[in-house]
Amino acid sequence: MKEVKIAKNELVSFLDSLISEYKVFAPVKRDGFVAFQEIHSGSDALLDYVNSKKPPKEIFLPQSEVLFSYHLGGEGLGIEEPSFEDKQTVIFGIRPCDARSLVILDNIFNSQEYKDVYYTDKREKTLVIAIGCNQPSSTCFCTSVGGGPFSSDGSDLLLIDIDQEYVAQAVTDKGEKLVTKHSQFREVERRSLSLMQKVTQRAGALIRTKIETGAIAEKLAVMFDDAFWDWLHEKCLGCAVCTYLCPTCHCFDIADETLDQTGRRVRIWDTCAFPLFTLEASGVNPRPTGKERMRQRVMHKFKYFVDNHNVAACVGCGRCIKECPVNLDIRAVLNSILNR
Amino acid sequence: MKNPYIPIAMRAEKIVIETDDKNIKTFSLSFLNKAEESSFNYLPGQFAQLSVLGEGEAPFGIASSPTQPGALDFTVNEIGVLTTALHNLEEGAIIGVRGPLGNCFPIELFKGKNIAIVGGGFAFTTLRSLLKYILHQENRSKFGNVTVIYGARRPGLLLYKDEFKQWEVRPELDVYLTVDKADEGWRGKVGVVPNVIKEVAPSPEDAYAVVCGSPIMIKFTLPVLIRLRFPPQRIILSLEMKMKCGIGKCGRCNIGNKYVC
Amino acid sequence: MPDTSVMIRDTAKKLLDEKRVDLIIGFEKGTLPLRSTPCFVRTSQETEKLIWNASCENNLARYLRGRKEKVGIVAKGCDTRSIISLIKEKQVAREQVFIIGVPCHGMIDRRKIEAKLDGKEILEADEVTEGVILKGSGFTEIVDKAEFLHNSCSTCSYRNPVIYDALIGDKVEENRGIDEYGEVKEFEAQSADKRWHSFTNEISKCIRCYACRNACPLCYCQECFVDSSQPQWIGKTTNLSDTSIFHIVRVFHTAGRCVDCGACDRACPMGIDIRKLTKKIEKDVKELFHYQAGINLEDVPPLAAFSLDDPQQFVR
Repeated sequence: MKEVKIAKNELVSFLDSLISEYKVFAPVKRDGFVAFQEIHSGSDALLDYVNSKKPPKEIFLPQSEVLFSYHLGGEGLGIEEPSFEDKQTVIFGIRPCDARSLVILDNIFNSQEYKDVYYTDKREKTLVIAIGCNQPSSTCFCTSVGGGPFSSDGSDLLLIDIDQEYVAQAVTDKGEKLVTKHSQFREVERRSLSLMQKVTQRAGALIRTKIETGAIAEKLAVMFDDAFWDWLHEKCLGCAVCTYLCPTCHCFDIADETLDQTGRRVRIWDTCAFPLFTLEASGVNPRPTGKERMRQRVMHKFKYFVDNHNVAACVGCGRCIKECPVNLDIRAVLNSILNR
Repeated sequence: MKNPYIPIAMRAEKIVIETDDKNIKTFSLSFLNKAEESSFNYLPGQFAQLSVLGEGEAPFGIASSPTQPGALDFTVNEIGVLTTALHNLEEGAIIGVRGPLGNCFPIELFKGKNIAIVGGGFAFTTLRSLLKYILHQENRSKFGNVTVIYGARRPGLLLYKDEFKQWEVRPELDVYLTVDKADEGWRGKVGVVPNVIKEVAPSPEDAYAVVCGSPIMIKFTLPVLIRLRFPPQRIILSLEMKMKCGIGKCGRCNIGNKYVC
Repeated sequence: MPDTSVMIRDTAKKLLDEKRVDLIIGFEKGTLPLRSTPCFVRTSQETEKLIWNASCENNLARYLRGRKEKVGIVAKGCDTRSIISLIKEKQVAREQVFIIGVPCHGMIDRRKIEAKLDGKEILEADEVTEGVILKGSGFTEIVDKAEFLHNSCSTCSYRNPVIYDALIGDKVEENRGIDEYGEVKEFEAQSADKRWHSFTNEISKCIRCYACRNACPLCYCQECFVDSSQPQWIGKTTNLSDTSIFHIVRVFHTAGRCVDCGACDRACPMGIDIRKLTKKIEKDVKELFHYQAGINLEDVPPLAAFSLDDPQQFVR
């Protein structure tokens, strides 16, 4: 893996040259929180932040997305397939946990059998530049789920902040081409590399939460009828905060929206927390109460997904912990499961 | 790369009312072009998503057999937005179809074996596909004895009545129809499907049982089959959940770690 | 004067021991600084978990709906008003609830504190009499509680429980002479264009998570109008028109029932000022029907009754 460096005072010019070629998404301050938005000037990128409120999954899996449009009343179905933008995209400033979530989502949307072209098209056209976390939050637990504050999973280029400059690790060919092409990336000295070691070690030590998630799937395998589920869901409001803000949650609904004779079929984020999720037209609901739905959420993320894809559908970003209106903490849930 | 969310257009050539309460209709759809027909390769047990654009899309078991080329049959119960829209269509209407989706019955495993086909209510759709496939002259000799046990709440609610009249008199299969409540003129059995299975007692030797029905019917049918000594690995069930994408992405149709689609 | 938490525990313990209730709904310590979390206690021993502090911001009345058992519930002023509304709407029977009323000095808005600290993470928070000691990596700060209360608490006129079966501690002094509708009036004074622009800007942050609806004690419809498919009233995307209608209609559904407990506002992950709408509806109901929800058990809610002198200036 090629390692180079880029001085902090050259970052803006690097971003500006990216902007001339790519559509660039970067963290910006918006309405009092951080969001990934398209920037048109390198100086608009926010560098001093912990993480965005909404996960960058929305760039690949927008909350509402048109699958196709249609005109009624004509010959045939009148379907107009969507056209995909040609322009290449860069996501700059994504955190390693969120970059890793993209790899996890690829399991679903880029599977052998069916390619979700809406997602895969964006993924193929996007370059991921991550910035490692020198200062993990108290709610971060990436190391418990196979990640880390400087994990390169899912990144093309990983930047590590060593005060006046970033060490840049070219993780993939795409990343390597990028650093070769842009003059702001220079040879990195040994001194910088050893400073990087110190930074990464210190950051790793700052992560206080340590959960043995490796054993969770096994435990859950025999817990389907456990009384644990009877009380776990009691305070849950059944809203969609944890799922919509989760980088690996991907469930969606499909609906037709028509005005007069034209319309479109859209896909919209959905959540297993809503009763409607599994409600059948007959009125029967296989998950009738919060108990079944909470059980589904936990088992899907930490058992079923592991069964099918060998990885838990969780990157330890901590958004669900911070934003849950009733402080239902997934770390406490996992620890309770381990202690059953 | 083919976009798996785009339906093809098919024409409703024939729409037949199946039940006396008119709640269930069978739609026979034809392909609009040969290319689409030749790439729609399916086996009994699979389903397709039917769309009425503007209303929505829902999954329906394919009731026709691939041995009847040129048409796809779907039997639809009117119960919600999309099914009401389908029922309001007239012959000649264009319907969107995405498929074939899902898993088929393990036909290869059935070869050389006896088959007990058990259905309840309006869950006989994919079983009809299987039955017609097996009975086709090119296929019949590849399978052993075929026993069909199918029941509904009352005679008027049985599906495929004309076809069953023909099947009942054919020598190469045994058909037992039953109803929970008989009416004047009913000559078949009376009793719930599990009880009829007990009575008919199909032999488990070298046999597979294929069961489709409501959750409650399956709940009472399985113990009967087990008691008749059908080993669990030779009882094939069709699982259902609410579906949206039908291709394992929207996350809603799982039972445990299996996506039912 | 014993600690409020201790008094709540003692009351809860007695209720469970005497089998006067099957369940106590209260608060226990949260997993993050400045947070507590709802807790459901069914045994005498578990009552040790119960706490009370300025982070007990949730409205627990929301958990009373659909229960068959007898419940003891820890409730501050606004929560008791919600309970009254629920009783009037027959969602819970008066005899079913044992209200453990707690006089309240207001709940801390942790987002205000986070904004003040401008990104510095709070690792520890200790509540003392008038302030909160905040500690983080390389800093300690003390903030004055009164400066960082939720807006609904700063203008609250019902800090004492309006109805209760047991009162924890002494009643507190009510706010007098505060114009609780100050912000609403400022907003009303703006032009329609400005107000619409302001509203749509705010509501465009909405991610349709329905945390506001689900946190509200009075949103208990078996099928919420957003979920109806026959007929379908609104779409489910984040299209501005659909999102606007969701919020506007929800607020109208709470007219005459909302007690401004702020649960919706507190639950919203995107920090949307939902109370701008709910407070306006509450003001309108007060002016048009001289009614405030949840003050007593006798007053009939205006939308559930008809009186000959109801305002009817819209009938021309």
